[in-house]
Amino acid sequence: MNDCLLCEQKIASVPSWKALLALEKQTAICQDCSKKFQRADIKEEDKLLDQVTSLYTYNEAMREYLHQFKFLQDVALASVFANELRTLLKGDPTIVPIPMHPEKRIERTFAPVDELLKSARLPFTHLLEKTGMEAMGEKSKEQRLAVKPLFRLKPGTSVQPSTYILLDDIYTTGTTLRHAATVLKEAGATRVEAVTLIRAER
Amino acid sequence: MVGLNEEVNKIRNGVLRMANTFDPSVRDFLAGRIWLRLHTPFPIETIDAHIQSQHIKTIPGIKTTKTYANQTRHICNRCENTIQSRFTTFDCAKCEGPCTYCRHCLKMGRVSTCTELIVWNAEQPIYPTNHTLAWQGILTPRQQQASNELTESNTKRIPHLIHAVCGSGKTEILFEPIHKLLLAGKRVCIAAPRVDVILELEPRLRAAFPETAIEALYGGAETTTDSAQLILATTHQLYRFRHAFDAIFVDEADAFPYTAEETLRRAVRKAAKPEAPVHFVTATPSDKLLNEIKKTGQISTINRRYHGHPLPIPRYDSLWNYTKHIQKGKLPKKLNNWTEERLRRKEPFLIFFHHIGLMEQAELLFKQLDTRIHAVHASHPDRKEHVQALRNKEVPGLLTTTILERGITIPNVQVAVVGAEQLIFNKGALIQIGGRVGRSEQHPSGDFVLFHHGITYAMDDAKKEIIQLNKGGVPN
Ligand SMILES: [Zn+2]
Ligand SMILES: [Zn+2]
Ligand SMILES: [Zn+2]
Repeated sequence: MNDCLLCEQKIASVPSWKALLALEKQTAICQDCSKKFQRADIKEEDKLLDQVTSLYTYNEAMREYLHQFKFLQDVALASVFANELRTLLKGDPTIVPIPMHPEKRIERTFAPVDELLKSARLPFTHLLEKTGMEAMGEKSKEQRLAVKPLFRLKPGTSVQPSTYILLDDIYTTGTTLRHAATVLKEAGATRVEAVTLIRAER
Repeated sequence: MVGLNEEVNKIRNGVLRMANTFDPSVRDFLAGRIWLRLHTPFPIETIDAHIQSQHIKTIPGIKTTKTYANQTRHICNRCENTIQSRFTTFDCAKCEGPCTYCRHCLKMGRVSTCTELIVWNAEQPIYPTNHTLAWQGILTPRQQQASNELTESNTKRIPHLIHAVCGSGKTEILFEPIHKLLLAGKRVCIAAPRVDVILELEPRLRAAFPETAIEALYGGAETTTDSAQLILATTHQLYRFRHAFDAIFVDEADAFPYTAEETLRRAVRKAAKPEAPVHFVTATPSDKLLNEIKKTGQISTINRRYHGHPLPIPRYDSLWNYTKHIQKGKLPKKLNNWTEERLRRKEPFLIFFHHIGLMEQAELLFKQLDTRIHAVHASHPDRKEHVQALRNKEVPGLLTTTILERGITIPNVQVAVVGAEQLIFNKGALIQIGGRVGRSEQHPSGDFVLFHHGITYAMDDAKKEIIQLNKGGVPN
């Protein structure tokens, strides 16, 4: 029995054979908290991204979650969606997290997307690196698309003619993911998919 | 402008260093506090200069030791949390190694292995000794006696418990003892587990001590550079104090989460100076607290309300299968009638529920009786406004969780508990809830009904204790 990472209540475990045999997955949050997150399960595709899957909607509970995880730096919360991410992502293709700028990473002390993957016990490879510090928020859509590439291939890495899955925490306009996909495809990837934890309504 | 400020700071800090002196506003703010080095209301350079001149001492955020079994054990140096499950260790990009942070006090800014805390390390500020007690009321003989006994405990520096029934005027008892401490230049804190209690106390204390620097601290209140002599704070806020107070009064000492959390208890102790007494004020002390104070301190009991009328005795009324009825979209008949009666007689009412979900289902049904009836709970965004609306008679009544069990006074309020047999309604909670009824001189009584699906020991114990108190007995 452990405490819910979000509300700190004891997580009531129903005694069952599955639990006794340790077949049941350990849950990081309680039923009540987990009910507050709303599944989106959006799947779509466009020219650059062969498939984009988003797991959850950006509702109040998710907004609070992201605030605590990223702004309050509660690294432990990486495990809240570990089971869901693992179910979706385990398998062959190489997972490529959307990278953070190194300075920003040091400032925050951790990279949230990497932590999500570590928590889900999913292997990943950093193939990309950020080119500049400019934040996307301040620019209009046109400006964003016109700006220089957001990412470049990390020196010393190579891309195979195979499938890659990008991972990011939130999908807002898709610009970030498209920039990342462009770099991978230009380097020889045959298929680039993407998974985001959250899909924000625009 | 920024450039100029930077220059000014540089010069100021240089001067400070050379003269081995300090900025009094930094001292006044930091004295008695334990703060994140990087998040003070002062420029970082100013703090750095004070560290260099040793006016400020740094302390690592987390202390990690190895046990005999070679297991690591962490202690948070801010909140003194030692519950190991409330720590998380991760691979830190800043200190490039395993780094541990405390989840317990996370919301006040994360404290980790590579976070530095700062404390004031030089001469302490001197607090004013001129204060006026503007409160004009007169204490009942019993209140006066308790007040005197409390002052005596302050002199002896022993803990004191004011065990006073709801509506006996507990806060007024504190005025004189606090005034005496302030006159002696002492720093005083009134702490309460719940923000509602702090919000209700603040205007009363400001009115009582008009010349005293008073600050109210609770989650959401902004940090100022003030260094108030009298501080009102939620117990959580005390995590950020250390050896600050000459006396602490913990109001509503038994309210969740104070009793539930050993760490909060330690935080209160840490906020007090090592020799300073920590006092408790409550209507429903736990056995543990009673035993503790019996051994180490003094107890004053007040079993009469200030207006001299007895406490309302709960009456039981069965409300079989109320959950099912409400879930099916039907308000149980007795509950319906009780509410209609209140509406007809224009008596404000509070109806307590044990479960938010059930309460919100019921809210829809109550709205069919009167659309202005609302449900409130701890994280309800409009809680304060709804309670105020009830006071202003803009709404006829509220549905609530136990969050409103204490600290609120509404003249002539009538109270019902739905599901009084539920575990959350223990003896203390029921006594507190009943304590909402009949608080004012004009309306010294009122209905206090326990709607239940079976009678529990807690219900009987609460009733027994109220009857005993009314007879003038001292509960044990
Ligand atoms: Zn929870
Ligand atoms: Zn802590
Ligand atoms: Zn670190």
